[in-house]
Amino acid sequence: MKLGNIQWRIAALKNGFQDATAYRLEFLFEVLGAAFVPAAIQWVLWYALFKVGGATQIAGMTYEDMVAYTLVSILFTQVRGGDHDFELAEMIRGGGLSNYLLRPVGVVEFVYIRGVAPKIFIAGFCLVLGIAAMLLSKIFPSVAAATPNLTPLNLIYGMALAFFGNIIHYQVGATLATASFYWEEAYSLMMVKNMIVQLLSGELIPLNLFPESMQWIWKSTPFYLYVFGPTQIALGRWSTEEIWMQFGIAGLWMIGGWVLIRASWGLGIRRYLSLGG
Amino acid sequence: MSSSKYARVFWVQLKNNFVREAVYRSNFLTMIVVDLIWIAVEFSLFTVIYSNTETLGGWSKPQTYFFLGIFFASDALFTTFFQRNFWNFSDLVNKGELDILLTKPIHPLFLALTRWFNLTAIFNFFLGLGILLRFSDAAGFQGGWKWLGLVGWLAVGLTTALLVRFAFSIWIFWTERSWAMARMYYQFFAFATKPDTIYPKMIRYLILTALPFAFIGSVPARALLQGLELSEYLRIAAVLSVFFVINWFLWNAGLKRYQSASS
Repeated sequence: MKLGNIQWRIAALKNGFQDATAYRLEFLFEVLGAAFVPAAIQWVLWYALFKVGGATQIAGMTYEDMVAYTLVSILFTQVRGGDHDFELAEMIRGGGLSNYLLRPVGVVEFVYIRGVAPKIFIAGFCLVLGIAAMLLSKIFPSVAAATPNLTPLNLIYGMALAFFGNIIHYQVGATLATASFYWEEAYSLMMVKNMIVQLLSGELIPLNLFPESMQWIWKSTPFYLYVFGPTQIALGRWSTEEIWMQFGIAGLWMIGGWVLIRASWGLGIRRYLSLGG
Repeated sequence: MSSSKYARVFWVQLKNNFVREAVYRSNFLTMIVVDLIWIAVEFSLFTVIYSNTETLGGWSKPQTYFFLGIFFASDALFTTFFQRNFWNFSDLVNKGELDILLTKPIHPLFLALTRWFNLTAIFNFFLGLGILLRFSDAAGFQGGWKWLGLVGWLAVGLTTALLVRFAFSIWIFWTERSWAMARMYYQFFAFATKPDTIYPKMIRYLILTALPFAFIGSVPARALLQGLELSEYLRIAAVLSVFFVINWFLWNAGLKRYQSASS
């Protein structure tokens, strides 16, 4: 890679970070809101099932297991893909793509780098927070008992898989965005994708709560690699072989995503009329 | 200006919006599909949870679906008549668009909140009613004259959503961007998507008072299925009144700060 190529990527990263944090209070609200409200709702569900309903185990998980899942999954929910695929769709629809076609940068990669910048910062912050919380949790025997395999190394592996998930999420979105070359309402495809991701990524509930007959649903999409997979790794619920297999699966999804982007953008750009704006 | 004139203005706005939306028919169909998926996701979540338990916070599966029916119908009313106005609310202040509303011989707040409709969302209202109807017997709803109560409870849900959303939006007069507050509203709105009895005391108290999201679907469902105590009726009236007064005060205070900073 030429030095110039690195320079524009670093510049895009810097620009994306500055853009996201221009309004610091908003940025903070967004991060905190996105972390704690879904976590509170999850915790409430476990409270209702176990403490009010009197259940002792659900899908092989105790109340403490569920709470541990909820707390650790918050870290990875923050890293999962954002909405910058909508930006691509809008560029195509509104004609803004023309500006990028004249520049010596790949528009799909440029939009990703700008969008991922605040996520890198959040990922680092979450990692530090996770490790600090993990060390503190050892003070409380019940929490420590529910998270015996939560180690800094597992958290780092989990965060790495979450980042793979972030890339896959964008690849899926960037492919769907090319529907804008053909259809005015293509943004709706991304809205649908985001709704499905919410359920199948594991950010609402651990995916092993799905009944046996429905497990194939989440296993046949890459979405579980965003939150559920990283949380399983961090909590030490996957063996080393399983972890490497999941990284392999993530790698395959990324290759597939790359091929899809190349194909869909190659086809779509031929129909681009540069109208609107 | 008399209320009949307000009704006439409302009717004209409704007709204008209908004409605008009729032009974009594919958008209409698209949004229906998107809403169907959203409803399917919510149902799937509860289906998964109920595959592991018989009851959730004292609610059986049909009762929860009955609650979801009310919630979807109530939320659809808000989306149809008000949601789009709140998305455009910040532009009124930031871009100075409020100027034009202030010059009209009608209350500017009325115009600000009734300019835009999202008529495609009305489909969700009927879908919500359909779900409600489908699970009413299994949920133990007695029906009969109690169906009339549904109209009142949908009105309570709509009023709640309107007042709370307004309380989150009005800060635009003091802040530069309202995006974070809007996002926060939708984060908290997630509390409305579950029956209130599943929440621990503190959160439950919060969603029945300071952030009364339980009035949108959960309390109406409980009222229709089991009935409420007098104190609960009084609390609903008190909370909504307080929200109304605070919003009114903030709106007037905000107008005093407004500088017509159009660019």
